[in-house]
Amino acid sequence: MLETRDVPPADDYVDPVSSDPKAFAAMVNSWVPHDIVLKDAWFPLAHGFAATEKPVRRAVYSQPYFLWREGDVAVAAEFHPSDRLTSGKSAYSNAAGRYPVIEKYGYIWCWFGNPDNAAPEHVPSIPYLPEEGGLPVHMLGTVRFDCTAPLSLENLIDLTHADFLHADVVGDEKMDKETVEVFHDSESITMVRTCVNKSVAPIMKWFGGVRADVQQVRQVIRIYLRSHAAIAYGRFSPGDNVQLFHPCVPETRDRTRLDYTMNTSNVKKTNPFRYIMPKASYKVSRQDSSMTSPQSPRYMNPEKRKDLHSPLDEAGQKYRVLMLALAERQARGDYAYRDNVSADCSELIGYDGT
Amino acid sequence: MSDVWWAVARSEEVSQSRPLNADIGDQPVVLWRDAEGIVRALEDRCPHRRAPLSLGCVLGNGMIQCGYHGWTFDGATGHLEDIPNLKSKTRFPPIYKARNFAAAESGGFVRVCLDSKAAPPLPANETLPLSGTAQVTLGHEHFIAALFDDPSLVIAIRRVRFTPYLMAELAEQDGRLVLERSCQWATPHWPAPFSSDFPITLRIATDPVSGESDLLLRDDGFNPLLRATLAPVPAARGVTQIRWRARLESGRTGIKARSMGFGRGSPFCVLSSVDAGALRILKPSASIHAAALREAISTAAQSAGAA
Ligand code: FES
Ligand SMILES: [Fe+2]
Repeated sequence: MLETRDVPPADDYVDPVSSDPKAFAAMVNSWVPHDIVLKDAWFPLAHGFAATEKPVRRAVYSQPYFLWREGDVAVAAEFHPSDRLTSGKSAYSNAAGRYPVIEKYGYIWCWFGNPDNAAPEHVPSIPYLPEEGGLPVHMLGTVRFDCTAPLSLENLIDLTHADFLHADVVGDEKMDKETVEVFHDSESITMVRTCVNKSVAPIMKWFGGVRADVQQVRQVIRIYLRSHAAIAYGRFSPGDNVQLFHPCVPETRDRTRLDYTMNTSNVKKTNPFRYIMPKASYKVSRQDSSMTSPQSPRYMNPEKRKDLHSPLDEAGQKYRVLMLALAERQARGDYAYRDNVSADCSELIGYDGT
Repeated sequence: MSDVWWAVARSEEVSQSRPLNADIGDQPVVLWRDAEGIVRALEDRCPHRRAPLSLGCVLGNGMIQCGYHGWTFDGATGHLEDIPNLKSKTRFPPIYKARNFAAAESGGFVRVCLDSKAAPPLPANETLPLSGTAQVTLGHEHFIAALFDDPSLVIAIRRVRFTPYLMAELAEQDGRLVLERSCQWATPHWPAPFSSDFPITLRIATDPVSGESDLLLRDDGFNPLLRATLAPVPAARGVTQIRWRARLESGRTGIKARSMGFGRGSPFCVLSSVDAGALRILKPSASIHAAALREAISTAAQSAGAA
């Protein structure tokens, strides 16, 4: 069960990414995402509009969360109000069976872990979502993945797959130059992919009014490790910038719920891209599922064989290692945040308000 | 299992345009034809991120490309030849490969051996024109036992009814399990238990390991009426996949034998569903010594190999 007190961060913390390359490779290859359950994190369990006076049920690693509103205030409880069998209360909720809740960026964030450790500064920074929410529902949607959340996120941070799997939406691999840069701290990983003269994304060609054949692309994926929540920010020239928030909630260890926000309020109201782009998630996520679903059982047990990697997999490998490092620290009872996930990351992701 | 050649596809099912997924027990396999039309077989698992290669595509140069990140593999060796996004012509070290299996094609069947170095099987000398694929929720061994004990539960031959009576019980012949069953025409007739003679027989000759079986239906003049080969392969979750080929022999005499050629569909087929109620109470009779015979055949083969 949960530790009631945090063990203070050990001073001998070693960055698992920049330490010994052999140890790093060993961690990359001991990746069994099915076995990872991280605690003490905020999860965006529902779009704000989904919480009404009638309770809705959500889950984090099978732990039940019932969400509803009392007046204007969103609440989350371990038990349905009409369920009297409250004897088996877990340590994740308070004496009244309530979880810590914060409403921000248009989501109901619920704390999974020791309620005493819940703090507003552990809600991740998402620069392009209005803190008070209120985006129109056509920019919001729900998608489910029949795979473990870390696989969905590893899929997202490895954008080279998009050129093959999503070529009909975002364009193929033809370009003059591609560079991938990766930044990390103990709580997040950020990948920046720059493409020179890349084939224009078909969706921008058909619906976004982009006439050119090639465009300059800078795509950023930033994952908040514990919350399994990702920022996907793309700058396209010519073209409109894409502002996607992509939280992968692990409802169970092998099923993922994505309540996304594709904020297209930067796109002109007369441009169909503003309305079509949020719907592209339905197509793109089906394509992702076609690959991640059959993969998922292959990551449920330790594998004797190592995965093969290319230099383009740097971000994915680091993601694995950072997740394992967090899991290993938690196994030792260390739940502290060593880095601040709520610090504004606009500069890091290259967001300038457009 | 590792040195057995399993008929995991019919020739018609493997193409140059789309990879095909098959499985041998729990081992997923991907099949396709390279630029020369040669059948290639790799593990249906990309060594990069474990996605099934069968979801990818066959390139114009005959290599298979994973649908996830485009890693491209040579079919003969399994070697990784290209990572398109790398945009460099580097050669990859030998460990950069997908697991490859041996593949052979003859008689309209594509066979795969999980041992990539296995010597190819003896080629068949003919290809039977009719063919089909059936999948049954019945384990490999049970499927073969049902074929021995009551063929009507797993196959159908137009105008033919199988009787419970055998002309020859299951025995070893040339390293195979062979039996011959008496059959009747499916027309009104004197009941089988009171018939002195039967007009047709079905001979079944089965490989003791793979279960591949040659069926020969003959009339009482020893004229062949129908030939069939069926190849049961143990697939995932206890399912057995059966590929079959058959031919109705020409020169069938007699109105009943000739009438096998009339009607819609194939005169032979493997049933895709098994009557579980009938199967449960089916006595193991013809098949009762199958396990002992298999054992004896394998011991004999081993001592012959040692000599
Ligand atoms: S999983 Fe096959 S190319 Fe990545
Ligand atoms: Fe994707």
